[in-house]
Amino acid sequence: MDEETIRSDLIHCYYESTIRGLKQSAKWCAELLHSLPPKCPSSSIVAEASPLLITASDYLLAKSCYDLGEYERCAHFTKHSTSRDSRFLYYYSRYMSAEKKRLDLMAEMNTNTSSATSSTDNSMNLFNELRNELQNLHDKGSLEDGFILYVYAIVLLKLDLNSDALKILEKSIRLEPLNWASWHQLALIIEDKAQLDSLQLPTHWFKKLFLGAAYLELQLNEEALLLYYAILDTFKDCNYIYSQMAIAKHNLRDVDGAIELFKTIRTLDPARLDAMDIYSNLLYVKDKRAELSSLAHAANSIDPFRVETCCCIANFYSLRSQHTKAVVYFSRALQLNPRHLSAWTLMGHEYMEMKNTGAAIQSYRSAIKCNKRDYRAWYGLGQTYEILKMPSYCLYYYSVARCLRPNDSRMMIATGETLEKLDRNMDALKCYWKAGGMALVKLAALYERLGERDKAAAAYNDFINRSTVPSGMDNIQSSVNSSDIAHAYKFLAHYYLQKNELTSAYNAAQRTIQFAETRDEGKSILKQIITAAKTSFLDLN
Amino acid sequence: MDANCFESDLLFKLRQVVNKFVEVEDYKSAAFWSNKVISLSNECKDDVYILAKCFFHLKEYHRASHCIKSRNLHKYDLSCRHLSAKCHFVAQEYNEAFEILECSESGNTNNKEMEVDPKLDEDERKWRSAIALLKGQIYEAMDNRGAAVTCFKEALKWNIHCYEAFHSLVQHQMLTIQEEEELISSLNFDAHCSSEEAKFTKFLYQSQLKKYAKPSDFVIPDDYLNSLQTNVDVQTAMAERCYYNCDYHQCYKFTSQYVFILNAFARNDDILKLRVLEKDIYHTECLPIHLSCLMELKKTNVLFDLAHKLVELYPESPISWYAVGCYYLMINKTDAARRFLNKATTLDSVFGPAWLLYGHSFAVEKEHDQAMAAYFKASHLMKGCHLPLLYIGLEYGLTDNTKLAEKFFNQALVIAPDDPFVLHELGVIAYQNQDYNTAEKHFNHALSLVKMKKDGTSLPEKWEPLLNNLGHVLRKLKKYEEALQFHREALVLSPQNPSTYSAIGYIYSLMCQWNTAVEYFHKALGLKREDPFSTAMLGHAIEHLINEITPIDDELPMYESPDYITKFLSKNNLEDSTLGDKLLHGTEVETEKSENERNNNTDIDMEISGE
Repeated sequence: MDEETIRSDLIHCYYESTIRGLKQSAKWCAELLHSLPPKCPSSSIVAEASPLLITASDYLLAKSCYDLGEYERCAHFTKHSTSRDSRFLYYYSRYMSAEKKRLDLMAEMNTNTSSATSSTDNSMNLFNELRNELQNLHDKGSLEDGFILYVYAIVLLKLDLNSDALKILEKSIRLEPLNWASWHQLALIIEDKAQLDSLQLPTHWFKKLFLGAAYLELQLNEEALLLYYAILDTFKDCNYIYSQMAIAKHNLRDVDGAIELFKTIRTLDPARLDAMDIYSNLLYVKDKRAELSSLAHAANSIDPFRVETCCCIANFYSLRSQHTKAVVYFSRALQLNPRHLSAWTLMGHEYMEMKNTGAAIQSYRSAIKCNKRDYRAWYGLGQTYEILKMPSYCLYYYSVARCLRPNDSRMMIATGETLEKLDRNMDALKCYWKAGGMALVKLAALYERLGERDKAAAAYNDFINRSTVPSGMDNIQSSVNSSDIAHAYKFLAHYYLQKNELTSAYNAAQRTIQFAETRDEGKSILKQIITAAKTSFLDLN
Repeated sequence: MDANCFESDLLFKLRQVVNKFVEVEDYKSAAFWSNKVISLSNECKDDVYILAKCFFHLKEYHRASHCIKSRNLHKYDLSCRHLSAKCHFVAQEYNEAFEILECSESGNTNNKEMEVDPKLDEDERKWRSAIALLKGQIYEAMDNRGAAVTCFKEALKWNIHCYEAFHSLVQHQMLTIQEEEELISSLNFDAHCSSEEAKFTKFLYQSQLKKYAKPSDFVIPDDYLNSLQTNVDVQTAMAERCYYNCDYHQCYKFTSQYVFILNAFARNDDILKLRVLEKDIYHTECLPIHLSCLMELKKTNVLFDLAHKLVELYPESPISWYAVGCYYLMINKTDAARRFLNKATTLDSVFGPAWLLYGHSFAVEKEHDQAMAAYFKASHLMKGCHLPLLYIGLEYGLTDNTKLAEKFFNQALVIAPDDPFVLHELGVIAYQNQDYNTAEKHFNHALSLVKMKKDGTSLPEKWEPLLNNLGHVLRKLKKYEEALQFHREALVLSPQNPSTYSAIGYIYSLMCQWNTAVEYFHKALGLKREDPFSTAMLGHAIEHLINEITPIDDELPMYESPDYITKFLSKNNLEDSTLGDKLLHGTEVETEKSENERNNNTDIDMEISGE
């Protein structure tokens, strides 16, 4: 793939997007374009790629209305236009108008949460009307414009007709590969790897970038990283790719790697806010108060009315345990963009902190509505229902989360705990075993509860061996709860005492009394051991 | 001779004067001079007629009638008889009017009246037609609709161009669809006009026939395409077809006042096509359909404007008040709506739409009895229309009276055998009676009729319930896959419909696909919280689901293997310290104890490293 093709493709896509008011797509093109090495002035593409100047007055009027957000006016002036770009503007401005109405209503609804459906009906009717028209066109076979097909697809998506939208997007891309908007949208709605593989897409270099985005959505983070590393050769220091990679690392819980990348992005492009909310999540996880505070302030001074800014500020407050304020900022973010997934999830977490389960459930559900594959929201729902003592719902949510993150031990443990509550001990055991690591203590505790003392002892023993590094007990792994270890020793002390293996019992008891919470019991065991030892000693004699 | 000559000259002049005044519609002057003409011409029949006509236009009906009757002209002259009867008709003296029409030659013409003799000269036929029309109107006013129908038919037979008779028959819903077709075929178009003209008239009449009884396309023959495409009446007919095919947007395009440039070709042809109401803003036939369209599309504001304008300009027209009633019904002010609809029906008792809407105003308030009374009234007035029967059936259905509901739907079906709405309702009744096979049959029939339209457009949104109901029936018949298919189609027509989602979820749960079922119930509940059915089903599905949830693989913990445990038991895991020594010095435990008490408040890590 030679550089000049890429350059001319990007310029082409940029102009096609710009004349149609597809601003995000245009920005994306420009960002990639910017990262290409500066071109030699003798290049022949210059003339070729420069766009035709559109002079049709209806288009010019409509476009300026569109740019000012007067969507209905734009639609009015393009009603009878016949040129490709005016037709597109006609449908797209109607879509935007309906979307704007919907968002305005939703913003109102956020403040007074009731009266949900009836008010959105109107914009839904508008979408449906649009769908009807476009569908008729499509069925008649007179819809062969890749860009208008894109509008058709996003209308279908608004109406929750995803499988239809998928087909339309495929068609749109086949007809017009240089339309990043369609690629981008397609990446967002693919449900699984099999579906991704079954897509019939043209072999175009955009496809690589599309695959990267799709992999990220599908949590195929390693694949995404590999792909982006490869592309980085062409697009040096491209912030878009850096931020995609950072998101992948974030998903892989490679917190430090992700933070490094975000730092790079911030030095290259300090005013860039895209994906900065994820950066703030990372800083939150790392408990880096100072950095988070500076990020939040910087974002606030760049643009306080950006979703990303609001999320940064919300995270900042959350880290300072000011949960009410955090909720305020998350909901502000959601007013700006109700489809901002992670804000919904995080708001759910905040409500959980505030013990407001009802609101938490609502937030998590909204998150799932935005994206069915957000395992955090499913997990959060599970936790909420756990608090509400509804184990069967809880199990369902955990199991969905587990399917989305098959290798995440947290999900396995949570599933196991719930199964245990439902008295499905065998299944619970399997879960704990699968989760491995520190879940061993859960496994052991369950054995203990079931009266399988031998197995429990073996498990506790392994747990202790695993959690204490061979050199001794001085550095217990940070993730391990010390009371778990105390309990493990206590159990073992009792166990060996009962089996009359006094040496082991003594050792265990010795460890037991080193923990504050088990000290008293440890001592009484120790006494018992000594008594037992004396008796047996006497017996021996 | 001289005097005679003078008189005849004068007479001629005066008649000219009268004619001129009649032309400029100055009937007062015309009457004055006409009176003089009569005196001069010795009560010539034609002059008397003109005088009477002047009185008629001056709204002096009795004077006009008397003018004719006093000279006994009505007994042997058709035009005079017509005029004098019309005077009484306008004055609402129906019996008198009737007497005049019947009085003369009753013996000899009665049998002849029905058979149309083409040999009669045109003038004669014209008047006979007019008289028959008038008779029909009198019968209609006297609420004798059967006789009225006969008279209107007769008027049409005398004169094929007598549109008013045709209009009364068709627009006042006096005939069923079969009768209408019979009427058209029985009319002898060719007898009255050339074949080209006959074809033209026939097309125009046919375009007016029952448009709502079944979905169909409306095609203008190529011959008239250029000339008639923009004709107001033809466009109204097209708009009505669109409306009854539930294509409200298209209909609105036809009826609305926008200047429409025929898109691509506009620049070449330079034709500005004006839509119906732009051309003829108070076109009465178009207005009801336009109003209904506005209601369907919920264009409250436009409706408000239009109703205002109409009432201002035509306070005497029922449609103006009907428009006001529509507006109030749309904003859910039923009382006000009823008041204005009432006014409309008082102005024109055969104005069917107002009666139906009157019924609707009760129906939306769940006042079933009153709604039914209004619908019954409507059904009495509109014998040839199945809609009142359909609505009566609906009301019975809503009051759980399925037997009666079915009866009325069947009656409606007799009048309009191909109306998908009726078939749909019949299906619903059958479904309620748990006769699922019949229900499926009705629904499928309705669907096939709806899909008959050839223009390849998708189904209108209005039919979403039909698809969903088909889904429900097929579910009851355990044809789950087909049922799902229909629900999905319904979802395309009306996306984000919670009850459709919940129906799909229900089917999946019947198919034991709990996972998918849960997903759909969630969707339904997301759109409509607190829906008891979905909530209950969700709980049920989740109960099932959790029994299926098991860890991904069935690998058992290694502790389950006896070998491992044996191995574990055989080795002493914690034997690494100097227990033996300590055992011998039991006191050491005590010292350690005190030591530990001292360290009690320090960190665990400290304690651990302290060992």
